Amino acid sequence: MKFITDRRRFLAGAAAGVGALALPAYVRRASAQDADLSPYEAANIDWKQATGQEITVAVIPAAYFDNLAAITPQFEALTGITVRYEKIPPAQIRQKCVLDFTSGTGTYATHAADPMYYNLYHSNGWVEALDPFIEDTAKTDVEWLALDDIVPAWREANSVDGALLGLPYDGEVTLQVMRKDLYEAKGLKPAATLDEFVSNAAALHDPDNRVWGAALRGVAGAGQNVYIYSSLFRAFGGEWFDNGELVVNGPEAEAALTWYVDTMKAYAPAAAQNWNWPDIADAFSQGTIATYVDAHSSASVINNPEKSTVVGKIAYERWPEGPSGKRVSSIWNWGMPINAALSDEAKTATWLFIQWAASAETQARTSYRFDGPAKRSGVNRLSLWRDPEYVKTVSAFGDNFVEATLASLENDTDVDWRPRAPQWPAIGDTLATAIQSALAGQATVKDALDNAQTRIAPMMR
Amino acid sequence: MKTKHLRAIGLLIVTGIFILAWVFPIFWSVLNSLKNEQDVLAYPPKLFFEPTLAAYRSVLFGPQSILPNLWSSFVISAGTTILTMAIAIPAAYALARLRVPGSRWAGFYVLATQMLPPVGIIIPYFLILRNIGWMDTYQGIILIYLSFSLPFAIWLMVSYFEDIPFEMEEAAAVDGASRLTTLRRIILPQVQGGIAVTIVFVFLNAWNEFLFAVVLSGNTVRPVTIAMFNFVSVEQTLWTQLAAVSVIAMLPVVILGILAQKHIVKGLTVGAVKGGGRR
Repeated sequence: MKFITDRRRFLAGAAAGVGALALPAYVRRASAQDADLSPYEAANIDWKQATGQEITVAVIPAAYFDNLAAITPQFEALTGITVRYEKIPPAQIRQKCVLDFTSGTGTYATHAADPMYYNLYHSNGWVEALDPFIEDTAKTDVEWLALDDIVPAWREANSVDGALLGLPYDGEVTLQVMRKDLYEAKGLKPAATLDEFVSNAAALHDPDNRVWGAALRGVAGAGQNVYIYSSLFRAFGGEWFDNGELVVNGPEAEAALTWYVDTMKAYAPAAAQNWNWPDIADAFSQGTIATYVDAHSSASVINNPEKSTVVGKIAYERWPEGPSGKRVSSIWNWGMPINAALSDEAKTATWLFIQWAASAETQARTSYRFDGPAKRSGVNRLSLWRDPEYVKTVSAFGDNFVEATLASLENDTDVDWRPRAPQWPAIGDTLATAIQSALAGQATVKDALDNAQTRIAPMMR
Repeated sequence: MKTKHLRAIGLLIVTGIFILAWVFPIFWSVLNSLKNEQDVLAYPPKLFFEPTLAAYRSVLFGPQSILPNLWSSFVISAGTTILTMAIAIPAAYALARLRVPGSRWAGFYVLATQMLPPVGIIIPYFLILRNIGWMDTYQGIILIYLSFSLPFAIWLMVSYFEDIPFEMEEAAAVDGASRLTTLRRIILPQVQGGIAVTIVFVFLNAWNEFLFAVVLSGNTVRPVTIAMFNFVSVEQTLWTQLAAVSVIAMLPVVILGILAQKHIVKGLTVGAVKGGGRR
């Protein structure tokens, strides 16, 4: 009997709890906003040529893909093609797509692809070259698509042997992010060189008052510590390939890794060697980091008033110059390839989708014209970065944001930022482990790099 | 008298420390799920703050609602548990009681399947499901889960069956009961505790599984463990929502555990006090 009364009380409580949660009612955002299709119909192609096709698109959990999914009903109305999205975390999306490719069943018509994977995709014939689609006047209105407007370095990063394999949808550059107020209080200027970056960090470093001089991603991973290290390596004048041989333990490598290790050790919180970019952004938004270098897209996180205590105190600058005189930003972009295992009809449908997603109109509709809280800052078009309306939206992120981003996109984006080879996934992991062991002090810089070289050499044969 | 008190206090402290170590992460998740994003990151960490249900509201009724994922998890876990038990009970009974040639080896084989590292078999499983068209389906995932829950359940149940004295079955046989009747009327009530324990473990494993689910599931069948991972987005970690999903995902298992607790305690001590009927 007691059990029953308990259970009744429990159920009543649970029901009340659920009721409380439902209040106030969540109002779902209207999904088809701004549903005027005429800007698309201006393209001189038949959008309906693949009507009835169904494609599945694998994306990562990110606001910029959520925005795309939100306006996809417009694409479906335009083309009669049905699009299903599957959201997969970044670490697993690579794995799942490679599995899909190897089994050749074409589950994912296209996916958010890591630019470093195109060599692997290409050498296995897993994806189509996009050029035949672009050159086919029935499928592409070249003038309307305005390919040249899409960040050139990203397109080059997504090409192998001159063939474009993935059209960039969203991307980023690596920027210096600073606490304007702290810099002003000490009379400091944004660092122009890596040396100045260190001296700024030293001047601002005050851990007793919970302000650390600088932070960089430290956690092991091909897209984590290698992301920072690759920029440093290139800024120190490093070249990945020496007569076709991949060399990761040369003098520039040693100098770059030494700089990375020393800076982290002296001015970053001890935990930062296990931090990824969201952790740095979280710490910065709590006011505990004076400066960091990372993706410009973290601007939306550190400017989120619900989370950040430093809104209005943020400024940006390009990557500091290295000893070689180069500023090196990442080439990171999420591009979309066409799965070679699809039928011709489905390939056409997929191309139409990719073309639609990368078009200037869709880029605008998912960014400054998006009717929701998240405004994209990773648009793929240089013209948008010069569009006053777009600039107005993103310049709210802080001082010099637009200028620094555009300058980086045009000047600092380095196609050979990381070694482009089909063996990349394994090379990246090996480098990540080596960097981690140096950051953690388990190995000297030289030993760590020599060890990586020993392990990488056989992969390249 | 005094030393007895001291001992009790000492025990209490030690127990307290252990409980704290286990309870703290859960306590912290619950706390974080009720905070706003700023309070989660506050330093020093806040114990007192204005609680909000915003995170729960958003994960249950927001655009990324996890309700369909909870349903997926439930169907997978319940399906796996029911099928596992339906096969494991007779199989374990047979292994424990019947003198079939090779039953010892069968027992070892069942255990050996547990020794394979799961990562090693994930690609074969993927290819098999792909070829029979069972990717991203309930039957596909349940089938794969059976492959590791069954050996585990059989292995666990065998030890419970072995603990029941043979005399009980002999007495039943003397009274003219068939083997099946004996199993149903005499043996099963004796191993209730064991069955409860096994059910809880099988359900728990299926509910918490991530590695296979992430590869073998898709949009149609997507358990909560996978959906939860999407709150670690590329741009940021949505701490409050992640905590809220964890708390919600924990509830069914916690409730199951509480309901089965009486049996679990009994089940765990079976064999510890009795001599056992092993021959």
